[in-house]
Amino acid sequence: MATSADTHCPYCALQCAMTLTSQAELAPASEPGPVPVPADAATAAAPLPEAPLNVQGRDFPTNRGGLCRKGWTSASLLNHAGRITEPLLKGADGIHRPIGWDQALAMVTRAVRDTQARHGKDAVGVFGGGGLTNEKAYMLGKFARLALGTSRIDYNGRFCMSSAAAAGMRAFGVDRGLPFPLTDLDTAGTILMLGSNVAETMPPFVQHLQGARDAGGLIVVDPRRSATAKFTADGGGLHLQPLPGTDLTLLLGLSHVIIHEGLADDQFIAARTSGYEAVVRSVNAFWPERVQSITGVPAELIRETARRLADGARKGGSYILTGRGVEQHVDGTDTATAAINLSLLLGLPGSRRSGYGTLTGQGNGQGGREHGQKADQLPGYRKITDPAARAHMAGVWGVPESLIPGPGLPAVQLLKSLGQPDGVRCLLVHASNIAVASPDANAVIAGLRSLDFLVVCDFFLSETAAEANLILPVLQWAEEEGTLTNLEGRVLRRRRAIQPPAGARSELWIMARLAEALEAPSTYSEDPETVFEELRLASAGGLADYSGIDYAMLDRGEEAYWPYPAGSTGTPRLFLDNFAHADGKAVMTPVAPRRRRTPAANPHPAAKTMTLITGRLLEHYQSGAQTRRVSELLATQPEAKVQLHPASAAAMGITDGALVSVANERGEVLCRAELSTAIRPDTVFLPFHFPEIESANRLTEAATDPISGMPEFKFNKVWVRAAAPGDPQPTGTQHSVLQTTEAS
Amino acid sequence: MSEQIVIVGFGPVAARLIDELLPAVRGGHVSLTVVGEETEAAYNRVLVADLGVGRTTADALALSDAAALIADGVDVRLGVRVRRVDRARQQVLLSDGTTAHYERLVFATGSRPVIPNLTGINPDPASPVLPAGVTALRDLRDAAVLQAAVDGGKRVVVLGGGVLGLETALAAAEEGATVTVVHNGPHPLGRNIDRGGGAVLAANLRQCGVRMAGNARSTGVEHNAPDGGFSALLLDDGSAIDGDLLVLSCGVRPRTELAEGCGLSTGTGILVDHRLRAHHEPHIFAIGDCAEVRCPDPACADCRTAKGPSGLVGPGWRQAEWLAEYLTLLATGTQEEADALAALPQEQAGVIVLKSRGMNMAVAGSNGADPWDEDALTAGAVNGRPRLQVAQWADPEHGRYVKMTTRGGVLEGLVAVGMPRTAAELVGLFERGAELPADRSLLLRLDGPDQLVGSGPADPAGTVCRCAGVSGAKIQDAVEGGCSTVADVSKATRAGTGCGGCHDNIRGLIEKHFQAAPAA
Repeated sequence: MATSADTHCPYCALQCAMTLTSQAELAPASEPGPVPVPADAATAAAPLPEAPLNVQGRDFPTNRGGLCRKGWTSASLLNHAGRITEPLLKGADGIHRPIGWDQALAMVTRAVRDTQARHGKDAVGVFGGGGLTNEKAYMLGKFARLALGTSRIDYNGRFCMSSAAAAGMRAFGVDRGLPFPLTDLDTAGTILMLGSNVAETMPPFVQHLQGARDAGGLIVVDPRRSATAKFTADGGGLHLQPLPGTDLTLLLGLSHVIIHEGLADDQFIAARTSGYEAVVRSVNAFWPERVQSITGVPAELIRETARRLADGARKGGSYILTGRGVEQHVDGTDTATAAINLSLLLGLPGSRRSGYGTLTGQGNGQGGREHGQKADQLPGYRKITDPAARAHMAGVWGVPESLIPGPGLPAVQLLKSLGQPDGVRCLLVHASNIAVASPDANAVIAGLRSLDFLVVCDFFLSETAAEANLILPVLQWAEEEGTLTNLEGRVLRRRRAIQPPAGARSELWIMARLAEALEAPSTYSEDPETVFEELRLASAGGLADYSGIDYAMLDRGEEAYWPYPAGSTGTPRLFLDNFAHADGKAVMTPVAPRRRRTPAANPHPAAKTMTLITGRLLEHYQSGAQTRRVSELLATQPEAKVQLHPASAAAMGITDGALVSVANERGEVLCRAELSTAIRPDTVFLPFHFPEIESANRLTEAATDPISGMPEFKFNKVWVRAAAPGDPQPTGTQHSVLQTTEAS
Repeated sequence: MSEQIVIVGFGPVAARLIDELLPAVRGGHVSLTVVGEETEAAYNRVLVADLGVGRTTADALALSDAAALIADGVDVRLGVRVRRVDRARQQVLLSDGTTAHYERLVFATGSRPVIPNLTGINPDPASPVLPAGVTALRDLRDAAVLQAAVDGGKRVVVLGGGVLGLETALAAAEEGATVTVVHNGPHPLGRNIDRGGGAVLAANLRQCGVRMAGNARSTGVEHNAPDGGFSALLLDDGSAIDGDLLVLSCGVRPRTELAEGCGLSTGTGILVDHRLRAHHEPHIFAIGDCAEVRCPDPACADCRTAKGPSGLVGPGWRQAEWLAEYLTLLATGTQEEADALAALPQEQAGVIVLKSRGMNMAVAGSNGADPWDEDALTAGAVNGRPRLQVAQWADPEHGRYVKMTTRGGVLEGLVAVGMPRTAAELVGLFERGAELPADRSLLLRLDGPDQLVGSGPADPAGTVCRCAGVSGAKIQDAVEGGCSTVADVSKATRAGTGCGGCHDNIRGLIEKHFQAAPAA
């Protein structure tokens, strides 16, 4: 008999609704089912099995039944031949071999105890991920602080949302990616999208831009003529192509025009904001022609963009949306702040038909940043330094407040401390492939190798798992229950559709067993709903208040937008009456571009110094640990290609498909060239989904934003040249993955 | 102990210096006094013409907030002039009778408009008293005079074909005033632009409704207005240009008299070295319009080719930022630590981007050489230094003109008229000293319609639905297999199930199939 489950896609924050149908009946969740494929790759040489589940898009306000290729093919990973289904211990020879769960848990317990006995509590660290369910993210924070007693926990969301989050907190007093339902965009006349390529990263989102395109009001800011920027063609709107690293200046120029052309919403500014005068002074020096000189965006386009935004605000509605392209910089918080200031000048936030939002990236990037995975945070988006918040959590957890450690280190600093004398010596990694996804990836890999003990929870042998002393196999999305919070701040149910492999376990189960072995205070349930009930209590009264949400109402299909205090009906639209600061006003903070560090000199006479920007492809997700294992996706994008303008390529003797070296003082990438006029002649683009010699993050700098801790991913100097005969060839582990999965 | 810094002048450059020094003030390392002659704190002079035509408000021009600075502990003295600098006692004497002690003194006195020698105008440059109906355009009061004329529908005569004159004329014309620009020479912008660019520029200005009177030498002003004010500008050929308001836009001159009065060396401006220090006076600095970077070392190659103050605000702001860092280091550490800060790089030749809503123009560097002018191109090409290359494109009919003068692929001069994207790109390349694409025509096509991407895949085997990765051929198969709606095709192939952007193309393939069928 077939069973089906209504759930959501495993990948990005759009969380497209899907229905999974299985031919097999489900056993109770607590009993893992049979292993669908042999764990040993040597015996996996059978023809690739059919996906055990049928995936169908499901009608839902965000995706309206649509899915992208990643979602359509997601089920093929459930029984992938490379799936890890037993704990694996690395031997002295570097080869991972299966061990039993009891032995594995005992080893983790011993490693934690040994490390902490010798180096102190903070020598054990935890690195989490924005893909974890709310229940797991919440429990990971609790587990780290109470069971491990460490302050050293942070997560990969630091690489995604931290700048927008910090800017949102500063301006609005609260950070919810979209403070309005996504469908509000449908009727907008003008949408300004900065540094977000939704056509590749979350394709079904594009449906919500159609209204603005029809009105000629889609304005895309991107140094590349990205797939999203192409939607502005044929009267759809405008494409602004600033030089990489000049987004902040462009935004100041837009605000300048709004103020000087009398387009600001003076009534809104007076009634609902503070700090206006300082912002006026700060943007005064950024008149359009000066901004043109800095950004390369013609003054007339700057004026026209400002006027269209103002026009939209008065008519159908105007929205300003930011993405990682403008946020993943050392001035990312200030850039997001400049976008928010612009939206406040126009009176967009707090309206029913206009607004500002940031597009959250990872599947649970929103929920994952609310419930205690961040170094400075306790559940409910509480500050770990706030005595009231600490007292509240001590009460919920039933522990003395003194047992809760203070703030830890943000991700980049945490990773820099790996193996250092006063740093982290034993690390637990969850839902994150830091060996590929972190800035200055070579240094991170060296850090991982210098650890006393590395435990990685994953379902594949990711590049990070490959470094681990111990790999613990965990569940995939279709095998578990839980909740995620999508990019709108709406809490969604993830439902189980298939038996997990017999040897795989939920992180909740793992944490419960480890807490028991470590004789931790408080309780650690392995049942998602029980954990969610605890999360409700923990979040009650916090900014991200989930106390009025339960599984039953989610299962009835009710909309649940936080804050959702018990007794309320939730908050689809924030700020309609008040912003979350004490005086109810939004705070405008003046910001200005900072001078940047001078990069190292180019040592290669044959190489040209260019600007590297990084980003995503439609076919792949994040570090590619999953999507590089989907044969259909890999067949389309099997390897990293550096996008290069034909004119620059010609000058360096590089032809389409030729091998190119892209290097700087941190590392080198060797990959094939893809010539395209969609990129500026002085800039190259690399997708960051690929490992080893094709890993873009070998080149990115671990310099961070002083407020958010966000690293500089989108503006790095590189030396580009045609590869010489002696250079190593891109080996491409992804190729070997393909061979593994399709060998017969 | 905190260091006493006094800033003379409170214009845009001083404002930036103050902002950058604020952390040191708040930290107790610096105690700061600012002396401003006007009663307002710094405002953005660059936008005075916009204010003069009613496009912005005086409030929006503010760059500093005196009250906020005072709250931060800055000693702000407005409406006060510095009478004298007593270098021996390290103090300044102010017009209100008070004094202020300094350990570091910064001149940011800016410049004042050049008043041309015309019959009917008092030529005293230090205290010009302009007759009614004649104004320069430098401060808020000047803006008010212009605004009254524009609001009253008066005829405006702008004397001077420099960038400020052109911007004023364009703005006033766009706001409905009748404007005539009078300049000497065949085209506006004089030596900043070449002949071709100047001609296209003049034509575009006329297109925007500005009357252009070139090759004109003015000799005097006539005061025959009913109120005894300005009525016409008289030219040396005996003709006159009638108007109600004469705006003098004949350039600016650095204000150096205070520095001269205390014995500092001056050229065009106050002479400073690469650390912005006055010659032989480690306690005094100068930045912005009043400063001329020319070090005392006669062998300094940079200074041999240095031009005087640019009159542009960008270089002044960069000086302010650098000096703030230097002064902060001096206040918090030793002279040696401060001197470890790399000196400010020499400014590029100024970039002029015309501020206008109606037309677009950018010029920078030297643009004198023509593509066929062998002597000019090879001049200076010695010791392996590459020769100049000039690429030029002229389309005067459509008001477009571009000239790129490069050496070794790097711009030494640029002119772009009527080509906004090209201008923006060229200015960026010029400022970064970046190499141009070998095919210069790439830069011309930025404004072409072919840069707008068309839609619709030409190749049937190509991908129609990117989201789901479905080719046109696969969709055709589905249609041939019986799918007759987009929904059918989506169900069969997943095409159109992502962003929905390809629905029209799928529909097109379906229609094509059913149209072709009867004919077959």
